[in-house]
Amino acid sequence: VTARTHEGRRDRTRRRLGLRKRLTLIFAVGALTLSTSVVVISYELSRAYLIRQRTTSLEQQTYVSARLLRARVRAGDPEIPALLASLGPGRTSLHYLLDEGRWTTGLDEADPAILPAGLIDVVRQGHAGHQLIRVGGTPRLAIGVPLAESGASYFAVYSLELLNRTLRVLANSLLVAAAITTLLGAIAGWWASRRVLAPLAEVSEAAAAIAGGRLDVRVVADQDPDLAKVATSFNRMTDALQERMQRDARFASAVSHELRSPLATLVSSVEVVGARRHEFERPAREALDLLESEVTHLARLVEDLLEISRIEAGVADLVMEEVRAAEFVTRAVASSVAERISVDLDAVARDAVLRVDKRRLERVVSNLISNAKHHGGGVARVSLEHRDGVVLICVEDDGPGVPADEREQIFEPFVRGRGARHRGVHGGAGLGLSLVAEHVRAHDGHVWVEERTNGGARFVVELPVVT
Amino acid sequence: VATRVLLIEDDEHVRASLRLVLQQEGSAVCEAASGEDGLAVFRRSPTDIVLVDIMLPGADGFHVCREIRRESDVPILVLTARSDSHDVVAALEAGADDYVVKPAVPKELTARLRALLRRANRAASVSGRVRLGDLEIDVESAQVRQRGEPVALTRTEFRLLCELAQVPGRVMSRETLLERVWGYDYFGDSRLVDVHIRRLRCKIEEEASRPRLIVTVRGLGYRAQPP
Repeated sequence: VTARTHEGRRDRTRRRLGLRKRLTLIFAVGALTLSTSVVVISYELSRAYLIRQRTTSLEQQTYVSARLLRARVRAGDPEIPALLASLGPGRTSLHYLLDEGRWTTGLDEADPAILPAGLIDVVRQGHAGHQLIRVGGTPRLAIGVPLAESGASYFAVYSLELLNRTLRVLANSLLVAAAITTLLGAIAGWWASRRVLAPLAEVSEAAAAIAGGRLDVRVVADQDPDLAKVATSFNRMTDALQERMQRDARFASAVSHELRSPLATLVSSVEVVGARRHEFERPAREALDLLESEVTHLARLVEDLLEISRIEAGVADLVMEEVRAAEFVTRAVASSVAERISVDLDAVARDAVLRVDKRRLERVVSNLISNAKHHGGGVARVSLEHRDGVVLICVEDDGPGVPADEREQIFEPFVRGRGARHRGVHGGAGLGLSLVAEHVRAHDGHVWVEERTNGGARFVVELPVVT
Repeated sequence: VATRVLLIEDDEHVRASLRLVLQQEGSAVCEAASGEDGLAVFRRSPTDIVLVDIMLPGADGFHVCREIRRESDVPILVLTARSDSHDVVAALEAGADDYVVKPAVPKELTARLRALLRRANRAASVSGRVRLGDLEIDVESAQVRQRGEPVALTRTEFRLLCELAQVPGRVMSRETLLERVWGYDYFGDSRLVDVHIRRLRCKIEEEASRPRLIVTVRGLGYRAQPP
């Protein structure tokens, strides 16, 4: 189980890294690998070359000294230690003479023990040789030369400190170069991924705008033929979508327009007849009541349909003005219900300012309240909250709530919850919530329904605030 | 005395039903089926209020409003479709006092008509004269003079001016003005106020684009500048 959880976590991590991050990472790792190999190779080559060069020049120097020494040793010069001392200061070089098993050194600090035994053996057998050694952490070059005839051997130990310092500087510069290359690689990756993803980002923005109802948004076709194809198909799809939606909206609008004038006549005429209600017998009066209520219902239905089709076709012109959220909601609630319902305001919500079409947003509030009354057994609570740039208008009821699988559907036209299948008297048109959804969308907001903690439904309208 | 309403509407059935509603309210209705007819009837017979549809064949509602405004300050109520909400502003600019969205609900229509008539006949809440800059407002006789010259205002413009001039220096919100002048509640269309203020400024300000008598207070409303 542990292994699987671990796997799962790793899997998620991998999925969480976006294309952009991955490209950047790949470029950075590539640059790092490449620059590291270049650094290692060039360091090693430079080091080998520099050491070889130094060795050659020090060997030359040693042979010169050896020739000088050979003459003196042959002559049995007693000043040999002074000569050895004069060959070099102890810091840069030390000199030794091995004659018949006895060491002679120029300086006191020159300890023959630092000489490698292997080198001594080679020289005593009559061959010149050199070996890299380390004394007290610093690298040195030991060179041994047999002094022919005399049977003595001459050793010199040179400090390579200077060379070492040069190599260190070289190594540091190379490391800095590697780091810069890696960084540049990462930047190149980031930039390249941005280039690659820019058209996608544009498409995604356009898609979001279209989903938000702005069907006139199009993607600018890129110069690049590969990307232009994506843009073109995307635009073609949007064209088709817009065309189709506008056709639907035009149809609904045409139907509603045709219904409008006769309905206007009906509404007025019924009103005139209704004023003489008392002159009728009971059956006629009942018929008149039915006629009045149905004509009103029908007129409302046609108006709502027309309103929805206008928003869907993108031809609704909103009359926007700034209002105080608290005052607006309080007034909207007061004007839509006869009984008093107070609005719970959180402290910050009081000063929030919204940019709204007053008439439309008032319909949103009154439709939610009427929905709570007809399908939720009455309004339990209306509240206004303000958080991170949005205002939440919540209408809660004590009804049966809305099942999770119907929470999106109920905002579609003519869809009702299971609990309210039958059409009650004045039960709303089935357009109330979809009109809410359309109006809220036109305000760049969102509406959804959720469960109340103690049962019932909670409808939430989220709107962006101005201040 | 019955209110004389001139009803200009091209759809015969709609016109007949509106006539019935108006007659039921006790008004005397003159009908016209076109803008040209309507103007002819208006010039021929005395009218207390004009109810005109914006969409008319030939001379449309805007034209009718402009023509009537040239010769009279009679209250004009326009009928407009909801889908043409910018028509509302155009109609108000052409001289309409208020509007009703079609299909007109009888209750709303009669409420609007009554509010308009009340404005026309209403005795002002404050009597006497009010001064605002170089304006002299005689509240009782509904006369406005600017440096002695009479200024022709419609009744709506006059009411609007009175509301503001009576409390110089105090900001009045659009909602308050809508309620006091038009009789709307909080949800009334505040473009009514904005357009009428604009028209009023054209008549009383020296430079309508830089008003000195009635100034806009951003986000709050309007204020008559104290002298």
